[in-house]
Amino acid sequence: MSVALQHLVNQPYKHGFVTKIESDTAPKGLSEDTIRMVSSKKNEPAWLLDFRLEAYRRWLNMTAPAWQNVHYPEIDFQAISYYSAPKSKKKLASMDEVDPELLRTFEKLGVPMHERAALAGVAVDVIFDSVSVATTYKEKLAEVGIIFCSFSEAVHNHPELIKQYLGTVVPPGDNFYAALNSAVFTDGSFCFIPKGVKCPMDLSTYFRINTEESGQFERTLIVAEEGASVSYLEGCTAPRFDTNQLHAAVVELVALDNADIKYSTVQNWYAGDENGIGGIYNFVTKRGLARGRNSRISWTQVETGSAITWKYPSCILRGENSVGEFYSVAVTNNYQQADTGTKMVHIGANTRSTIVSKGIAAGHSNSSYRGLVRMTPTATNARNYSQCDSMLIGNKCGAHTFPYIQVKNNSAHVEHEASTSKIGEDQLFYFAQRGIDAEEAVSMIINGFCKEVFQQLPMEFAVEATKLLSLKLEGSVG
Amino acid sequence: MNTLIKNVSFQEWISSWNSGKITAPEHSTNYLDQLRTNAVNHIAALKFPSTRDEEWRFTDITPLKHAAFKQPSAATELTASDLTQYFIDESVIRIVFVDGQYMPGLSSTAAQHGVTIDSLSKLVATDISAVTQHLGQIAEYHNNAFVALNTAFMQEGVGIVISENIVVDAPIHVLFVATQQEVTACPRCLLVVGAGSRITLVEEYLALTDCAYTTNAVIEAQLADSANVNHIRLQRESREAFHIANTSVQIAHAASYQSISIALGAQISRFDQHISLADQHAQCSIDGLTLISDQQLADTHTWIDHIKPQATSRQLHKCIADGSAHAVFSGKIIVRPDAQQTDARQMNRNLLLSDKASIDTKPQLEIFADDVKCSHGATIGQLDADALFYLQSRGLNLASARNLLTYAFGAEVIDFIPVDSVKQQLADLILAKTRIH
Amino acid sequence: MIRADSSILLEVHDLHANVEDTEILKGLNLTVKRGEIHAIMGLNGSGKSTFAKVLAGHPAYRMTGGEILFNGMDITSLAPEERARAGLFLAFQYPVEIPGVANDQFLRLAYNTVQRQRGKEELDPLEFDDFVREKMKLLDMNPGFLDRSVNEGFSGGEKKRNEILQMALLEPMLAVLDETDSGLDIDALRIVAKGVNQLASQDNALILVTHYQRLLDYIEPDYVHVMEAGRIIKTSGKELALELEAHGYDWISGDKTRASGVQP
Repeated sequence: MSVALQHLVNQPYKHGFVTKIESDTAPKGLSEDTIRMVSSKKNEPAWLLDFRLEAYRRWLNMTAPAWQNVHYPEIDFQAISYYSAPKSKKKLASMDEVDPELLRTFEKLGVPMHERAALAGVAVDVIFDSVSVATTYKEKLAEVGIIFCSFSEAVHNHPELIKQYLGTVVPPGDNFYAALNSAVFTDGSFCFIPKGVKCPMDLSTYFRINTEESGQFERTLIVAEEGASVSYLEGCTAPRFDTNQLHAAVVELVALDNADIKYSTVQNWYAGDENGIGGIYNFVTKRGLARGRNSRISWTQVETGSAITWKYPSCILRGENSVGEFYSVAVTNNYQQADTGTKMVHIGANTRSTIVSKGIAAGHSNSSYRGLVRMTPTATNARNYSQCDSMLIGNKCGAHTFPYIQVKNNSAHVEHEASTSKIGEDQLFYFAQRGIDAEEAVSMIINGFCKEVFQQLPMEFAVEATKLLSLKLEGSVG
Repeated sequence: MNTLIKNVSFQEWISSWNSGKITAPEHSTNYLDQLRTNAVNHIAALKFPSTRDEEWRFTDITPLKHAAFKQPSAATELTASDLTQYFIDESVIRIVFVDGQYMPGLSSTAAQHGVTIDSLSKLVATDISAVTQHLGQIAEYHNNAFVALNTAFMQEGVGIVISENIVVDAPIHVLFVATQQEVTACPRCLLVVGAGSRITLVEEYLALTDCAYTTNAVIEAQLADSANVNHIRLQRESREAFHIANTSVQIAHAASYQSISIALGAQISRFDQHISLADQHAQCSIDGLTLISDQQLADTHTWIDHIKPQATSRQLHKCIADGSAHAVFSGKIIVRPDAQQTDARQMNRNLLLSDKASIDTKPQLEIFADDVKCSHGATIGQLDADALFYLQSRGLNLASARNLLTYAFGAEVIDFIPVDSVKQQLADLILAKTRIH
Repeated sequence: MIRADSSILLEVHDLHANVEDTEILKGLNLTVKRGEIHAIMGLNGSGKSTFAKVLAGHPAYRMTGGEILFNGMDITSLAPEERARAGLFLAFQYPVEIPGVANDQFLRLAYNTVQRQRGKEELDPLEFDDFVREKMKLLDMNPGFLDRSVNEGFSGGEKKRNEILQMALLEPMLAVLDETDSGLDIDALRIVAKGVNQLASQDNALILVTHYQRLLDYIEPDYVHVMEAGRIIKTSGKELALELEAHGYDWISGDKTRASGVQP
């Protein structure tokens, strides 16, 4: 190769600062007592404590999964603090009473916490370390019957809903990290769209890990009743630390008849430095249950951060004619590892699913797509189309595709395609001959490569994602 | 060849190995004995595969575990006239095994300058250096229980050694005939093809019985620079049989390996194919057709390892499952960091003919080099409704339209077979099997 | 050295270039003035396509001797994009496919980059759309091209038209057309040639690299050069192309005495 395609430059991580704020952090370690302590700090009802303890007991009998294509030292679950919250003296009456240091933090991150400053009318729930610190537009949403609040708040104000849906999509013993989350989750977002309501604005949760030795275990539950629809956005950042922080979240979505849930993520947790030191372990269980007829669940993710990403936003297509979608871009650089993909489980007749996955690997990183398409015997006339493309920049990285296809119904149709592409010297020369330099050429090729996914993102997120990707790969080809 | 291990059943092997009771034979300077000793010693470190193992996830071989099959004490006496109908018109060289035992009287071997095509024991006697250089060196047993078992218990097999620049035109027919119930055969084949040489091998498993028995076969092949091997594999064991087979092939510079593997028989069959594209411009095309029905389970696992630059691989694997049959395909393409300008294409197509049949497929790419062209695809479905309608509109009834399309689906692979009589025989067989009764 | 003759656009002196370790160009000389059309002919492997790529600065080719002056400036140390922005255009023999990148986006980016370089106005997507559609009429191109990925799935002829469209947009001072006639049927060839002729003026120049006389029936050269073994071995007027067509390259290759590389 006469042009070095490999010189990799690291764009400094912009969100790597730590906020100096007094926090109330639990001592490290995990036991039934820790769980009781978390539960009592949050003043939880007994049934929720039981839910946690049941999950904890199951977790004790489980071992951490090892099948994924990522490598990391064993995690010492006793060296993690399971509760950390910014100290606040009293209950906040309005946004103006939020600690100004906290407000400044989120302003720096570009998250609008002041409703008057908010752009494009997006309602935001902000999670700082383990707890929700603010939710905007609550009243406005309440007018149409939408509940959008922190999970803790929902436990107190809407216990019947939480009790009805919590753990119905991801049961407490589903997998090792989901069990851990079920035992120790501290906060998260809850969103309920009642029958027939189209949510008038995008809902958004912004997650921030601030404390070095705490893990973040949030829980999100979104329920869309018959005919309801919502578009939900999630963003994440964390400071730079030399140690690894664990993020083990659980997200559950429930869509009833004719309901539509669109869940978009731009994940930009701290990825570690150019030598692979530090960064978030992002071990997340996300699953949607398309329970009703004609319901639809759509996942879109742009994964650029985290030292290790290990997640498979999935759809259980139970309702007849229900639709599942998964659109993903995963970019890894330096020593990042990503093992991500989806599961589409077709149970109902005429269910349809689409998977579009784009993996870009540079530096010494590894990017794997792992997906399951399962057609159960009842999934008459079900359809799936999957497309998994990967692009490598340099040859110290790896791109892998592991699709699992299981079909037990002979009227089902499954189609899977995968290909690799590259940013080749000939392509760069073609651009150059038209006066376009390598940086611009690369950005254009990458955005072209990811187009089908970016098109799924809400406008503001699409702009952010494009920017993020250019930053991430800036100087990686030349 | 010495028998190192006393005659034990499959079940006994497994239970004794799980309890660590298999003892290695005493040290011997003999290469083969040493190889078997090493394999026996290693077996203790391996577990009998279960569906908890990723590579066996969809294939439950518990029935095999409980099969108390021994190696046969004596082979059934067969005459040439019993087998004539199975002989290949084009073949002059034929090596026949009955119940795992070599039948010199039914075989016609070749030994001339630069060519040895004979039983494995004959090769050991005449060209021990070819054996010590290659046997057990290509088929890796350390991570594969069945290769380890075959290595530990191999008694007889085929030895083919071709020196440089020799073309053997007529296909070499290696025929494994099963006649007895509840026996286990562990045939081992070694194939060494010198630089610039060319051969065609037809490896066939055939049953003259409806009973249950086990085959655990291993083939290892080494292709030197610019060698060319056509390998046709026909598995038509009895409907009660267990068939486990491993083929490992190493392909040197600009050498070319084409295989077509057809799986029709057995209650449970599992075929592993490991291809190493070990040098630049090496080529392989490995195609397969699985056609099963009733309660059959057929599993094909392939690994294509691109180790050096500019190698090419092609793969088309098709499965047709009827009745309650279960077809499994797992195909992995690995592109190592050195293997720039790799060109790899894999396609897996599956046809489910009944509502009880099922398919699990797992096409995988693992890529560590950036300047490569790799693609894979998989489809699962049923016959094209438009095509069916088109044929019906031309006067065919639904059953014949369906038969025609099913046959055409399988025939795409059969058409690759370079030996006319085998192609014709299979075409007839497929036609008969795809017909709705 | 001050160059008195500002009409000279390109001067190539004793150009040597390698691909990997093989020398392909072995002392090539050529002078091109504004307003001129030059044809470079020769057998496959004579080095004519290499010359085109070396001019454009392709990284796979290494210049080992000689000089290239473009508009009086030594461009040998310039990156390909800098040469392009300076007004040197190469229409590729095999335009590469760029999946995922929409043709209109690509064209606009290229156009605006060159406009910026020239201190001229850049166009927003809507303005550009009008502008490019106008240019496409020139080449009888379907506007559907704009929405497709760059060259992806284009037929050979479509790719060539897309090249000439880019030439029309970028208005280069010197355009090198590398085997632009290959893959074009006669109708397409006429259309492309018509487009090229309309773009030719007294201020710019054209180098046509071609194997056949065919293209020269439609774009009339002022000079025809014959290349062999990495050098220009004969230079003459347009009638030379006809003689080559009639007698083949053998007719000329024995006759090295007339080799000059400098036009009369």
